[in-house]
Amino acid sequence: MNGPTSRLSAGMIFLMLLLLLFLLFALDLLSGSTHLEMRDVLASLFGSGTEHGEIIVMQFRLPKALTAVIAGAAMAVSGLLMQTLFRNPLAGPDVLGVSSGAGLGVALTLLTLTPLLSIRSGSPLYGWSMILAAWAGAGVVMTVIMTVAARMRDIMSVLIIGLLLAGAISSIVSLLQYFSNETMLKTYVIWTMGNLGNMSYMQIKILALAVAAGSAIALLMVKPLNALLMGEIFSKTVGVNLKRTRLILLATASILAGSVTAFCGPIAFLGVAVPHIARLIFSSNDHRILMPASAICGAVILLVSDLISTLPGSGQIVPVNTVTSLIGIPVVLWIIAGRKGIGRRF
Amino acid sequence: MRFSFILLAAILALYSCNSSDNSGKISADAQRAVKTKATRFSLEEKDDITRLVINDPWQNASGEQLVFYLVPHGEVIPAKISPENVIRVPVSRMICMSTTHLAALSALGATDVIAGASGTNLVYDASLRKSIEEGIIPDVGYEGSLDRELIVALRPDLLMAYGVSASSSEQMRKMSDMGVKVIFNADYLEEHPLARCEWIKIFGLLTGKKEKADSLYSAVTENYLRLAEMVRDSSESRPAVLLGAPWEDVWYISPSNSYIGSLISDAGGQYLFDDLTAPNSLPFAVEAVFRRATRADVWINPGTAGSLDEIAEYDHRMTKLAVYKSGSVWNNRNRMTPAGGNDYWETAVVRPDLLLSDLISILHPRLLPDHELWYFMKLK
Repeated sequence: MNGPTSRLSAGMIFLMLLLLLFLLFALDLLSGSTHLEMRDVLASLFGSGTEHGEIIVMQFRLPKALTAVIAGAAMAVSGLLMQTLFRNPLAGPDVLGVSSGAGLGVALTLLTLTPLLSIRSGSPLYGWSMILAAWAGAGVVMTVIMTVAARMRDIMSVLIIGLLLAGAISSIVSLLQYFSNETMLKTYVIWTMGNLGNMSYMQIKILALAVAAGSAIALLMVKPLNALLMGEIFSKTVGVNLKRTRLILLATASILAGSVTAFCGPIAFLGVAVPHIARLIFSSNDHRILMPASAICGAVILLVSDLISTLPGSGQIVPVNTVTSLIGIPVVLWIIAGRKGIGRRF
Repeated sequence: MRFSFILLAAILALYSCNSSDNSGKISADAQRAVKTKATRFSLEEKDDITRLVINDPWQNASGEQLVFYLVPHGEVIPAKISPENVIRVPVSRMICMSTTHLAALSALGATDVIAGASGTNLVYDASLRKSIEEGIIPDVGYEGSLDRELIVALRPDLLMAYGVSASSSEQMRKMSDMGVKVIFNADYLEEHPLARCEWIKIFGLLTGKKEKADSLYSAVTENYLRLAEMVRDSSESRPAVLLGAPWEDVWYISPSNSYIGSLISDAGGQYLFDDLTAPNSLPFAVEAVFRRATRADVWINPGTAGSLDEIAEYDHRMTKLAVYKSGSVWNNRNRMTPAGGNDYWETAVVRPDLLLSDLISILHPRLLPDHELWYFMKLK
């Protein structure tokens, strides 16, 4: 159960997953809240569609599908890094306060700064101020945790401090909400529900760059990650610089999750659950497999969630976060029940 | 309710087959009779005592009924009436939880009864703002964060609340345990602007200005119906109207049977979602709304946008809409305070005729050539 499965079958699984990803991506372009014929969608993609068909495909569906792939992959890899770093199956970007830090940034901006500087929703500053605030919030929390991590020898203390910090941040956000008016409250609540649409290609580029950078660092950390699974003492004996590894992993996980949260709002559940799904599918603990596997599974799941959230054909939508949680939680429950616990993999 | 509308529509459709030349008029007349009356309250006067019944006072309430007896000061309360349901009129100290309540009292010249209000920073009326700044009208806080001690200390005869949901209403109801009488105002749930305006009758009864309230209501109603009839009798085509603005992935769509839906229809507009009937707004995917919006002629109330650029900054895809390119975009931000108080959310409730004039002037400028926009402005 612990060793990696044979290379051949892992390769086959990867091939199938990539195929699934491609199919879902295509399906996400083909189906939406309004009906478009397949040939109209194809024509629009190659620049020869009707004017409105082209806007719907190129400005609504394509950016959303791209965002789903990037955000899903980033959240999953971030979660994987956190779980291995803390050797805890429940760790994830939300547990360490990265998501709530981003939320605090947004809440502060939305509820105090924008009214103070009278930046109105829709003004050029508004969209970017939310994104920068989320980034800054995630960054501040990450810095605090890294400072603690640099001083603590025991990684479990860092996890607990992260949890406490997340709790304190939620209280501050509640306090801000308590003193804010209904419009701002609604804005914030809708932000917390997650959002994949309404991103310009410019924003998608920036998100993609941040995620690519984070993923590249994560790939370079595959060896120390595998060593960490064998325990910290073992890691030291094979020459892993524990302190440095920790800091790099924390920073990488925060860049990934913080960027996604900044642009899309807190995407629930993916970070914690997807690495488990990847472990289950590949029966492996090898990060050379788990890293790309988590990324692809994350993208697949967010695409599926997006497909469901548009309630195809009805015109109405539900928040994507509710879908990721509702389809994801049963999956995790099933894994835990089927494996009689997942703790011993760490 | 819905079934009866379908039935009505079916009958009207049959009828209109026989008299196709004036079918529009007949269906509108018949529907107006059903829709313009307030449905959420009823009054029953007997001797000097008025029985006020408020039906389904908050969203998604069904079968909920609140009964009050308005008894003049000094009058003996009949034995069969429980004293806790009695409100002595005229009241001299009232706390208002909504700016629309302030507007009703202001229209009646009864602002001296306002003992406190909620959301005072968003009040538009200049004389009320003065009272607020001078501390004559203190702020009692918001629904979730009511200053209960202040409310009790203000010793109000009445607290005029509005309930968004049963649970939030429960908080208000707790105020009555502290000896504060609470009435739920459900005007915002009325589907027709005239029905919403009709609630001024309750304010009239409460403040001893019944005649004034009744005459105000009938003048406004007469004016409104006259304007609506003028539009119906004209040969103007009905421009397609897009309403609201997207918020991230979501575009909340008011159904055709809503306050604003009724206004657009009465002003001679063709609401893009006139096939949608629902008890409240529904979340639509922006893509779906965009598809319909491509055939809009006029765009009204695009969120909080104060200019065309703001709409573009918020969602650049909207710039592709013909209605955006034509610049026929209007928002209700003509009368605002720097703090964000908007008269549209205040006096428009008691002046639906003025609101309708604005919309007619936007949709059919030829019909009201001399009208100057009051609540609305064209975005640049």
